[in-house]
Amino acid sequence: MDAILKTENLVMTYRVGSVDVHALRGVNLVIGRGDFVSIMGPSGCGKSTLLHILGGLLKPTSGRVIVDGEDMAAMGDAGRTDVRRRKIGFVFQRFNLFPTLSAEGNLKLAEHVHGNGKKTVDDETRREVLRMLRLENKMRHKPLELSGGEQQRVAIARAVINRPAIILADEPTGNLDSENSEIVLEMLQKLNRELNQTIVMITHNPEAAAVAARTIEMRDGTIVRER
Amino acid sequence: MDSLVASNIRQRPTRTMISVAGVALGVLLVVLNTGLVEGMLNDRIRRERGIGAEIQFGREAAMLSPSSSNPVDVRYADRLRQIQGVKQVSPVGYYVQSGNSGLGIEIVEGVEFDSYSAITGLKIVEGHAFQSDDDVLIDDFKAQHNKLKVGSEIQIFGKMMRVAGIYSPQIGSRIKMSLAAMQQALGAENKCFEILVKVQDPEKQAEVQQRIDAALPGNHVILTRDLGTNFGREIPGIKGFVRAVMVLSIIVSALVILLAMYTTITERTREIGILKSLGAPKRYIISVIEKEALAISLIGVIVGLLLAIIAAWGIERATTLQLEFHWSWILRAALIGLGAGALGALYPAVRAANQDAVKALSYE
Repeated sequence: MDAILKTENLVMTYRVGSVDVHALRGVNLVIGRGDFVSIMGPSGCGKSTLLHILGGLLKPTSGRVIVDGEDMAAMGDAGRTDVRRRKIGFVFQRFNLFPTLSAEGNLKLAEHVHGNGKKTVDDETRREVLRMLRLENKMRHKPLELSGGEQQRVAIARAVINRPAIILADEPTGNLDSENSEIVLEMLQKLNRELNQTIVMITHNPEAAAVAARTIEMRDGTIVRER
Repeated sequence: MDSLVASNIRQRPTRTMISVAGVALGVLLVVLNTGLVEGMLNDRIRRERGIGAEIQFGREAAMLSPSSSNPVDVRYADRLRQIQGVKQVSPVGYYVQSGNSGLGIEIVEGVEFDSYSAITGLKIVEGHAFQSDDDVLIDDFKAQHNKLKVGSEIQIFGKMMRVAGIYSPQIGSRIKMSLAAMQQALGAENKCFEILVKVQDPEKQAEVQQRIDAALPGNHVILTRDLGTNFGREIPGIKGFVRAVMVLSIIVSALVILLAMYTTITERTREIGILKSLGAPKRYIISVIEKEALAISLIGVIVGLLLAIIAAWGIERATTLQLEFHWSWILRAALIGLGAGALGALYPAVRAANQDAVKALSYE
C-alpha cells in the first residue's frame, strides 16, 4: 500500500492541574493514498485529539506522525503549520467559514494561504470542484445566506480546492439534518472516488461511517477494532 | 487576504468608526496645534517685523511670550534716548485677554500714540487717535474680520471700550489703547512691557544694540530682524508643547487602535483558529491584522486632515487666529497616525498569532 499517513506508537498526555490525562496510548495507524477512512468511538476516546495531531494542530507527547513522507512529530509549530498549509485540508462540524467573506472569498482565502499569496489553483480545477459540489451558483453568498448543507459544501470545497494530500473531517455531518448529511457524505465519496482524495473522517454516526471503505474504532485512547 | 481585511473593516462598522475616530483625533491634534503655533508665531513675526524699530528692549524670558506683566520701567526710555545712535524710542505695554469668541488669546498693546506712530509709520485710515481712556484703535484686518467700525464697542479689562479709529498697516497687536490708560487699569504706573528703539542708521543697529547692552546691563536687547529665528527658540516651552502634542497624539491613537484591535481579536478568536487550520503561518496572521489596522489608520488620517481643514476654517472665521499648515507637519501627522495604528495593533496581532489553534477553534 502507498501510505500517505502513518502513525507509530502515538502517545498524547495532557496535564490537567496535577492530573495526567492519557488521550492517546500508543496509536499505530497506516492510511493509504486514496483511502476513505472513518474513525468512530465514544466521546473522550481520543479521536479528536488524533485528528488534531494528524493535522499538525497538536504536537504528540511521543511517537511519530508521517504525512506524505514528513514526520510532523519531529517538527516545531512553524514546520507543522507549513505541512498543514501544503498537504492538509480540514472540514469541521461547525463549518468554520469566515462569516464576513462570501463563499468565493472563503475559497480564495484558502488559495491565498496555500499559495503564499500566489495563484496556485487554475480555473479549470476550481470549476471542477465547484461543479462536483454543486456550488456554482452559491459563490457570491455569505455563509449566513446559505443552508447548513450548503455551508458545509463550501467548507469541503475550501478544504479540497488546493488538492491537499489528506482531508481531515471532524464530524462533518454533526450539525446537519439527515437530508443534508446524505448530500455531504455523497460529496465526500465523490471526491474520494473521482479525485482519488484521501479522507479521514471522525464521526459518531454509524451510517456516516459506513460510507467510508474502512472504519477504525477507538476506545480509551487506542484503536480497538478495524473493519 | 485583502478582501478579508476589507470585509472585516466593512462588517464591523462601530469598531471601525471608533478606531478611525481615535486616529483622526491624533492627526487633528498634531495638525491643528502645529498649524496654530506656526500660524500664530508667523503672523506675530510678520507684524512685529513691520514695527519699524530695529531694536526691542525688555526683560529676558518675558519678552517674547505674551503676558500682561509689564516689567520694564518706562523711565528707561529717557536713558535709551541718550545712547549714541538711538533716534527715537517708544514704550509699549501688553495686556493679554482671552479671544472674543472664547478661543485663543488676544493681545492689547498700550502705546504712546505720537512716538509709536513716528517709529512705526502707523496711519489712522478711519476715525481718529485716542481721545479718552476708553478709546481703542484696531487694525483694518480686525475691523473687517470682526465686522467692527468706528464707534463699535469691544470688551477690554472686562469693560466695553469704543473703537476710536482704524489703522493700517497691520503691525504689532491688532488692538491698541493708550499706554497711560493701560497702566492705570493694570495698576502698573510707569511700567511697560518693552521699549521700541529706532536707530539713526539701520546699518549700525548691531553696534547700537551692543551700546545699549553695555549701558543698561541685565536687560534683554534684541534686534527685530532676529525675531524669526528667536521666536520658536525663545518662547518658553513652545518646542516642548509641540512635542507633547505629538507624543499625546501617538499615545491616543495607539491606545484606541490597541483597544479596538484587542477587542476584535478576542471576538475573532475562532477566525484566527480557522486561519491556523488553513496553514497560515504567524507572520501571515500578524500581517492580516496589521493591514487592517493600517487601512483603518489611513482612513483616520484622511478624516483627521479633513477635520483639521474644517476646524481651521472655523477658527479663522470665529477668531483672528491664523493657522498655517506645512506639508512637513501634515506628513508627520500622517506618519504618526499610521505608525500609531501599526504600533497599537502589534500586541493584539502577536497575541493572535500565538494563540493555540485547537483552543481558538473551539472558542465560543
